[in-house]
Amino acid sequence: MDFEYLIEGQVRRIALVKKGAIYVVRDGDVVFEADIRRISEHEVMMIVGGRSYPVSFARDGDRTFVFLEGREFVLRPPGEDAGGFHRGEEKALGEGLVIKAPMPGKVIKIPVAEGDEVRKNQTLIIVEAMKMENEIKSAIEGVVKKVFVKVGELVDSEKMLIELELKKE
Amino acid sequence: MFKKILIANRGEIAVRVVRACREMEIAAVAVYSDADRAALHVQLADEAVAIGPAPAVESYLDMERIIRAAHGTGAEAIHPGYGFLAENADFARLCEKERVVFIGPRSNALELVGDKVRARQTMEKAGVPIIPGMKSIPDTMAEFEAAARALGYPVIVKASAGGGGKGMRIVAEEKELIPALEAGRREAKSAFGDESVYLEKYLDEPRHIEFQVLADNSGHTVHLFERECSIQRRHQKIVEETPSPALDDALRSKMGETAVRVMKAAGYNNAGTVEFLLDKDRNFYFLEVNARLQVEHPVTELVTGVDLVRQQILAAAGEPLTLKQSALLQRGHAIECRIYAEDPLNRFLPSPGKILFLREPRGPGVRCDSGIYGGWNVPIDYDPILAKLIVWAETRELARRRMAAALDDYIVLGIRTTIGFLKDVVQHPEFKAGRLSTAFIPKHFEGWQGMAKDEEILRLARTAAAFAEFDRAERGTAAPGRGSRKSEASPWTTSGRWRIGGA
Repeated sequence: MDFEYLIEGQVRRIALVKKGAIYVVRDGDVVFEADIRRISEHEVMMIVGGRSYPVSFARDGDRTFVFLEGREFVLRPPGEDAGGFHRGEEKALGEGLVIKAPMPGKVIKIPVAEGDEVRKNQTLIIVEAMKMENEIKSAIEGVVKKVFVKVGELVDSEKMLIELELKKE
Repeated sequence: MFKKILIANRGEIAVRVVRACREMEIAAVAVYSDADRAALHVQLADEAVAIGPAPAVESYLDMERIIRAAHGTGAEAIHPGYGFLAENADFARLCEKERVVFIGPRSNALELVGDKVRARQTMEKAGVPIIPGMKSIPDTMAEFEAAARALGYPVIVKASAGGGGKGMRIVAEEKELIPALEAGRREAKSAFGDESVYLEKYLDEPRHIEFQVLADNSGHTVHLFERECSIQRRHQKIVEETPSPALDDALRSKMGETAVRVMKAAGYNNAGTVEFLLDKDRNFYFLEVNARLQVEHPVTELVTGVDLVRQQILAAAGEPLTLKQSALLQRGHAIECRIYAEDPLNRFLPSPGKILFLREPRGPGVRCDSGIYGGWNVPIDYDPILAKLIVWAETRELARRRMAAALDDYIVLGIRTTIGFLKDVVQHPEFKAGRLSTAFIPKHFEGWQGMAKDEEILRLARTAAAFAEFDRAERGTAAPGRGSRKSEASPWTTSGRWRIGGA
């Protein structure tokens, strides 16, 4: 059976073939055998090349969380945009034209309305969770085309909040 | 002793207090908001009272509702935990008026230490060292220059209207002073509409060191040594330990005696913490009193062997403190890491949501004070603290390794947490060497990108994910039920479930 995952920013193809109690794994160009036993709903035990790896995993929609060797990975089907914001900045800048929620939370302020012209760095929307406010600013100079949410609304991570369009010259 | 205590809090600290009550054979009453109906503290308590909707102002911060819950259940005392109403003098006063014991300091002591300016003045009068600074705003630059010389460089320009770092300028030498004052004034003027600035001695990369104090109602006061909490992110402590690698016995007893003097000057009773900053020349300065049980109290419990929550309850019940300063000792070393629902790879944004799988570490010397469970939906309404991982070992280095190993075994799937980040913090060579300061995180972890990617491990992660899908597909559509169907055949479930109270 073939699978394709987006993991740590890379798309990789992997194939599993069951051979008795063993799985033959083809990951890219590498082929190896893995002895995999399910221990519980969320745990498996793998032995690969004589080394043993306890692995925990869980699924949420199309994401699979995998924990092994003290590290956690998130695997997704390929072709999904993993996030619409820059890392390491004090305030998020909406990237491009569709602004998505950077985290689950509650919309507490929308200082713009449809049809408004916005400057670069102008605050578009404020989402709050766990006593932390996250102000999302416009990355471009443009016009608010659509506001998808209302103040007080609970939003999930990556929910579309606002759509901008470039100002016509 | 009390027969019943109401816990006016939630999360890991409410769970901690429930456990203390249980061991003291005191019934514990939990309160909960709509968002916390299924919370761990509600599960573990003997009784539970709904106190309103999810927003804290309408539930955990609503004094009237909490008092009503106490009266309604016949609770004789209220433990406020930390945060929420813990340092609210009005609440302490309301409890006094309503004849419910507030497990904490009396309202006038709470009021005194809560007012930072008054507390500073009181401490200065009591001979406690405070960060040197100007006490009035001068008119001329010459007066500023004289003051800066008296304080000794570096100094810091601060806006008296203050806040958020606006108007602040660090001045290393005299020739920078006047430009810094001018810039500080401009910034203060535009930020607060008030251009007054003053000077304070600047402490370069200080350590944050605090002392745990216990006092009974008649003023018998002891300290339970220090905790070093220098590892902070945006002024929030994330790793704490005791003993501090920076103190020797002489400095420790001097600071401990000062902490006791601070609490006596404030007329303080119950458990409290005196916070100090320690500069590079080992001078210490009073910062503030935290008039509550601290988040990081477990490290003190592990090295002194004293149950602080139990001591709080005993003191509140009017029992005399039986601990003697000379009998208190620090044994071994303890470290705590705070586990937050925050995404360290995405600007530490909050990460509420459902915990799909949880496995907490265990082993010798490992303690996990937790407010979560697998399947719990972490609400968006409250602080992101999920749990605290605390380890004890004979030496600091052994404790550090034990912490690293325990973090490796800590599995929280479904939401993002700070576990991976903490692992890198305790493995950092400067942490290992005990060279800590409040500048540690900005200095060493700016733009942290996570742990190194190992192709081998990524391959195994893909294999495991593929196996999970393969297995599911192989077991077919009926697969999810197969295991459970088998267990339904058990005689224990066929006889129907027990019901209590005929509900």
